[in-house]
Amino acid sequence: MIDVRNLTVRYGDTTVLHGVSLAVAEGESFALVGESGSGKSTILKALVGQVDDWQGQMTLAEHALQPGRRADLARQVQMVFQDPYGSLHPRRTVDDTLAEPLAIHGIKGRDARVLAMLDAVGLPRRFRFRLPHQLSGGQRQRVAIARALMLEPRVLLLDEPTSALDVSVQAEILNLLKGLRAEKGLTFLLVTHDLPVVSFLCDRLAVLRAGRVEEAAAVATLRAAGLRSAYGRELLERSGLV
Amino acid sequence: MSLLAVDNLRVTFPSDQGPVEVVRGLSFTLGRERLGIVGESGSGKSMTGRAIMGLIGAPGRVTADRLEFEGRDLRNLPEREFRKLRGARMSMVLQDPKFSLNPVIRIGDQIAEALEFHTQLSASARRARVLEALEAVRIDDPERVARLYPHEVSGGMGQRVMIAMMVVMEPALMIADEPTSALDVSVRGQVLDIMDDLVRRRGMGLLLISHDLNMVARWCDRILVMYRGQIVEELGAGALNAAQHPYTLGLLASLPKLNEERATLPILDRAALDGFMAGAAR
Repeated sequence: MIDVRNLTVRYGDTTVLHGVSLAVAEGESFALVGESGSGKSTILKALVGQVDDWQGQMTLAEHALQPGRRADLARQVQMVFQDPYGSLHPRRTVDDTLAEPLAIHGIKGRDARVLAMLDAVGLPRRFRFRLPHQLSGGQRQRVAIARALMLEPRVLLLDEPTSALDVSVQAEILNLLKGLRAEKGLTFLLVTHDLPVVSFLCDRLAVLRAGRVEEAAAVATLRAAGLRSAYGRELLERSGLV
Repeated sequence: MSLLAVDNLRVTFPSDQGPVEVVRGLSFTLGRERLGIVGESGSGKSMTGRAIMGLIGAPGRVTADRLEFEGRDLRNLPEREFRKLRGARMSMVLQDPKFSLNPVIRIGDQIAEALEFHTQLSASARRARVLEALEAVRIDDPERVARLYPHEVSGGMGQRVMIAMMVVMEPALMIADEPTSALDVSVRGQVLDIMDDLVRRRGMGLLLISHDLNMVARWCDRILVMYRGQIVEELGAGALNAAQHPYTLGLLASLPKLNEERATLPILDRAALDGFMAGAAR
């Protein structure tokens, strides 16, 4: 579903990704783990066309991507961002936010679809005409997830979807994501620095450092604290989990 | 005598629905130790820190039966007097260096500001103290870093600069409000280490405010767990497994683990919890 080969990204003279390769199968949940500056978010940006200048080959939902050209993939791939406070328009109601992708793509039956989506992400229907500031952080993240799912994409790119949330709210959103993935057969590419979240939500992971994949492992390896690369072990130790 | 004594601290804000109490009768004492306050957003943990620092302005209202710092009553202390304490005897480290440092003032000058305000040191003596403070937070080339602007340093370095700024006056009490949550996991340990070292060596009292239960448990001598403006539980160092209160237990259960095998994570049952709290209050 996602195939990245030898992806190199430079910003000016700085190379932020050095020939990264990874492949995510349909229905799989894959995590990119690393610290800030490791290039994990840059991979997501390149996939959705927010980085124009890259080298290598990328295939996303059976479409070959080309640098500088935005593939028309909104109905295949959507993204959920870290900060629900920053990613929703402050003066648009939940209804506006959810109906907009439908309007853009000329999809009918907006009313029913918005209501169905509110149910799917566990938001009470009475929240439909509220503004973001009337919602809690967890509710906002539910709206952001709902918006991403409105066009029924096959792939969700998740950039630290729970790190701005409280622990108890994080659990709710993680459960929601896991349930939606099972229900809709979604493919996840998740960026995070939180190893336990990977353990809960993902099948495989790649450890990134300074723009290179240090290690790719199955989640079973992570659960057994069996990461082999020096940096992988360091991450385990620093998370205080070993 | 304890460094800080708080008895029945209340912080109230007016709202359309009448006054809202965000801190509801908090009592604790702090010696020269590391005390952690843990809670989720809205639990009143940050407001507690701010109330102690005298940073809650109108229309917020702070009341307490006792609020003493080094034997001085902080209740109704005039702002002039408070200014002499803040930055000198008590100081606060904030969450994000990106927003808490002045972007257009060199780091050395920002650190020196407290010295300028609180002491009569000469410029060269101030400079020496600034470099010392930067060294104390393990910055290897303080001369160079002192000349930099905040945007020229990384997050971890920025947070160390903030700590340097707080310790340059050698305060007796340091309040750290989420000092590591904007930082990467790898530099978190380092920043905590530095604070730990300062607390031990200079005999400071530290109030660490955080939402990260595990981090606080590993790192503090005592933990207060806050929920809806109240302390629901006090725990000793590393004694998270001794937690009894349903809120603490709920939080712990909802955290994913490294070897996570559960299909779904248990969710905090807030209604049941509020019922429990109401029952306990009676």
